[in-house]
Amino acid sequence: MNPLLTLLQINDSVFPIGSFTHSYGLETYIHKGIVNDSNSTEAYAEKMLRYNFFYNDAAFFHETWKICEKKALKQKLIELDHLITSLKSPYEIRDASKKLAIRFLKVVESFQSVRRCKAYLKAIQEGEAHGHYAMAFAMYAHAQNISLDDALSAFYYNSLNGIVTNCAKLVPISQMDGQKILFKLQPLIRELVDKQADMDPDMIGNCCIVQDIRCMQHEKLYTRIYIS
Amino acid sequence: MDSIIKINVERDGHQSRLKESYHNAPYKLTHYGSPRAQDHLEMIIMSASPGIMDKDSLVIDVHVKENAQLKLFTQSFNKLHPMKEGASQETNVLLDKDSVFNYVPHPVTPFKDSIFKTVNTIHVNDGATLIWGDIISAGRVHRDEVFAFRKLHSITRIYQNGKLLVTDNQCLLPQEQPVSDLLFFEGYTHQATLIYCGPFAKLMKGEMDEILTMEYEDVSFGFTECAENTLLLRAVGTDGELLYSFLTMLAQMCWVFTQDQLVTKAEETAGIVAETAPKEAVSTGTEKKVVKRVAAKKTTARKKATPKETASNMIDAKEAVKKKTIAKGKKAVKKTVEQRTVSKKAV
Repeated sequence: MNPLLTLLQINDSVFPIGSFTHSYGLETYIHKGIVNDSNSTEAYAEKMLRYNFFYNDAAFFHETWKICEKKALKQKLIELDHLITSLKSPYEIRDASKKLAIRFLKVVESFQSVRRCKAYLKAIQEGEAHGHYAMAFAMYAHAQNISLDDALSAFYYNSLNGIVTNCAKLVPISQMDGQKILFKLQPLIRELVDKQADMDPDMIGNCCIVQDIRCMQHEKLYTRIYIS
Repeated sequence: MDSIIKINVERDGHQSRLKESYHNAPYKLTHYGSPRAQDHLEMIIMSASPGIMDKDSLVIDVHVKENAQLKLFTQSFNKLHPMKEGASQETNVLLDKDSVFNYVPHPVTPFKDSIFKTVNTIHVNDGATLIWGDIISAGRVHRDEVFAFRKLHSITRIYQNGKLLVTDNQCLLPQEQPVSDLLFFEGYTHQATLIYCGPFAKLMKGEMDEILTMEYEDVSFGFTECAENTLLLRAVGTDGELLYSFLTMLAQMCWVFTQDQLVTKAEETAGIVAETAPKEAVSTGTEKKVVKRVAAKKTTARKKATPKETASNMIDAKEAVKKKTIAKGKKAVKKTVEQRTVSKKAV
């Protein structure tokens, strides 16, 4: 299989794993009028990538990748899964990660069975692991001979695209502005991907307090379009 | 200066007592009021130092043994003075089966150029309850020292029966992060975290869903079930005292709820024992204690139930406890809001 085409397929926003149903707290920001135009969308997206995603899902992706590279035992993956579960405090965020992981693993299993992915899915279904999308994505991308640089860049892009798409629907911002933000933040993704391996291990899962609160407040929003 | 505080609490009859303790300068550990004023143990950590200085390290070890209960207090705001290398604090907590531990220290106030790392490791065993809070301020706000510190890193890990349950990792680097901006403090100057972990956390979540329905002007908060049997509340505000009152009020609600649930649980156990052995004279230590407690506190005016009445009475009792806790919570929330309004008017 062609690694590039596989990456494009699994990273597509219409890949049927339900990622479009989650906003990861963004809906609260829009509901409260904090994110309310193209400028605030860009500021939110930039800060989310730099201060949240870098220390959380992207770091979890990178840790999984390292485990796959070392061909470490399944137990290492289970330990990482438990650590991520303990770090994802807001219930909806933790649950989103699980749902996406299960759907992702089921879909890719139907293409071509990857032993590690299959074992992870089994561990989730049997309650041994919680299930996290970043781990599932990294495991499959690694097995498809996609380079770390490409896979991690795509993973960042996927997240940014989710923010921009949600803002285009909810704020709303124009599609043109959304595309400009996607293009403008390319250097940031490059910078973060380059720095990922040097991240201080003590910083893994670093929490941005109010962003965490907004994710929790989402559970109580009167009108909700997104699950998280 | 390297300091150590050690606290061991054991159950002795119906009271919790301090069995072994140790502290060295500048800290002092003492009873918070009369040691026999209540069944649980109340201790306060005092300090002769004006705060934490450069290169200071403090280790706090707390062991609450089976069925014992401890409320640990602090004397004042934890002031972090200007530093070059930094100071550290390590807190290790071990909660044995069915113990209860409540700790909501005063806010940490980092002065200009302070560097501080705190690591909390908490082991919660079967049936044990943890009520844990922490508050971090931006600094001496009225001296224009807002986010003037260099680094504040707080890591809390909670294990339940040896399994990692919750990790809270917060690192604030004002020189590298836009800490007062979007995602971080968003204009607020204080942040607070409260963790309630134990067998009644799911029930408490239901109570909080009913109590914390309002939005406040000065405090923005959210709460969630952050893990199995664990409730996490995070809040941000602009006033350290207010946030401390808010958090201690919620912690007290959790404490009262836990005590009520423990009484109900013990009554249920006593009821089951009575049902399974109706002809025997059931008078276990637990039952005696429960009856004594209920009578003393006048929480319910019920007589000891006969085996046939137990089920319905238990349901009634549960409902009564639930209503009582909600009423207490709502009253406390109202009181805090009123106090705030009064202080605002005064200003």
